[in-house]
Amino acid sequence: MSQPVIVAENLRKEFGRVVALRGVSFQVEAGAFFTIFGRNGAGKSTLLSIISGMASATDGNIRVFGEDPAERTHRHKLSVISHESFLYDNLTALENLSFYGKLYQVADLNDRMHDVLHQVGLHHRRFDLVRTFSRGMVQRLTIARAILHNPDLFLLDEPFTGLDQHATEMLIGLMEALKSQGKTILLTTHDLQIGLRLSSRFMILERQRVVETGSVEGLTEEMLRRKYFSLISSGEAGQ
Amino acid sequence: MSVIWAIIRKDFQMEFRTKESITAMWIFSLLIFVIFNFTFEISRLLLLQISGGLLWVAFIFSGMLGLNRSFQVEKENGNLRGLSLTPADPGLIYFGKFLSTTFFMLIFEALIFPLFIIFYDIQLSLVTLWIIPISILGTLGFTSLGTILSAVAIHTKQQQILLSLLLWPLITPIIIWAVKTTGDVLSGELSAAFQPVMVRMLVFDVIFTTISYLLFEYVVQE
Ligand SMILES: Nc1ncnc2c1ncn2[C@@H]1O[C@H](COP(=O)(O)OP(=O)(O)OP(=O)(O)O)[C@@H](O)[C@H]1O
Ligand SMILES: [Mg+2]
Repeated sequence: MSQPVIVAENLRKEFGRVVALRGVSFQVEAGAFFTIFGRNGAGKSTLLSIISGMASATDGNIRVFGEDPAERTHRHKLSVISHESFLYDNLTALENLSFYGKLYQVADLNDRMHDVLHQVGLHHRRFDLVRTFSRGMVQRLTIARAILHNPDLFLLDEPFTGLDQHATEMLIGLMEALKSQGKTILLTTHDLQIGLRLSSRFMILERQRVVETGSVEGLTEEMLRRKYFSLISSGEAGQ
Repeated sequence: MSVIWAIIRKDFQMEFRTKESITAMWIFSLLIFVIFNFTFEISRLLLLQISGGLLWVAFIFSGMLGLNRSFQVEKENGNLRGLSLTPADPGLIYFGKFLSTTFFMLIFEALIFPLFIIFYDIQLSLVTLWIIPISILGTLGFTSLGTILSAVAIHTKQQQILLSLLLWPLITPIIIWAVKTTGDVLSGELSAAFQPVMVRMLVFDVIFTTISYLLFEYVVQE
């Protein structure tokens, strides 16, 4: 069996007195679509930023493609989509892609840029400034930027925020395509329905701990919903 | 190399499009010159003595505007985080931002200097040419520190306040040296201290560029 893409052991993260993760352990196999559910403040974003190497854990062990993500050796295999677009408002769609393409040293960048712009349905707007884009168009370009360097691992932190029905369907379609190409995808979301529809495995974070992990096989939305709400305590967010 | 170049190119593309920084910097400098030229009745001799300082006030304050702008665009959509998620070496990202703000300031300084000459009726001679290396050394000192401190400040809420609090004390020595040597140049006569001060500026630049280059990786981590 192949080595898991992500191995997390007992991850702990503290921001001063605030604890963002209290000993989180899990594994993600290559080619898996792994969804993390959890309320506001559960620790989802913190976990993703440790996996991406942007933040370091206070304690515990993290391996991505067998290496410490802080080492930057596997950055080209990784892509992050979050509520931040990483795009420049005063550059055109094409200029943005060209800039990131150079930083990722994408081969045949020109062809690749036109390719991904077609995929997200923005090719006709390629010469327009991102400043003039609607929220959903920005998100589409964010997706184009994320797939540009053809990464193997996607970290998606609530990527549906702000998308209309149409754009949501496009993103879901894209994720399904990525899944069928054998890409590994780690998604965080509050949306049980979408999470269930896409994923092969899931995990529930509650109060900065893993309270459930499993396969979605045979799981209906109703069962997941019941499980979810029995595990998370009602009331205030987070701590 | 291609990383540095990509960042410089990107910054200039955006600036040429919006002209936000250059307009603000230009108006600001003009204001300083006008205020000091018409508001204060000062003797020609005194004017010559303070003109070096005046020129650097214009350079540095507009440099602050440019620097703020340059990092505002890296903050708006989490761009600095996006940059550090790429395989690009953080040191090269530092150099890209450092050089793009440096080039930008130098271009601006080259535009503002003739204006300054006209406003204050400075006598030109061969010695005046020394203003070129002085501007380069002084500007490099300012931008090397300004770039890394701007990146630090991005993570904090009171961005601009923190930036000034950290930046001013650190750049004070090189500003003093730049003003001093500029004063020499504008008076048309280089003092004995001129050369050693130039060397000090060079050493300052090398030290702070190296430190910033090495530290940048830790600055962009959260
Ligand atoms: N930079 C930070 N400084 C201080 N505390 C932080 C920081 N980032 C996260 N936290 C804290 O860590 C905890 C987990 O936050 P995190 O952003 O990981 O939650 P989340 O599951 O992504 O929530 P949401 O669904 O709202 O996005 C929260 O209590 C939060 O306040
Ligand atoms: Mg979050």
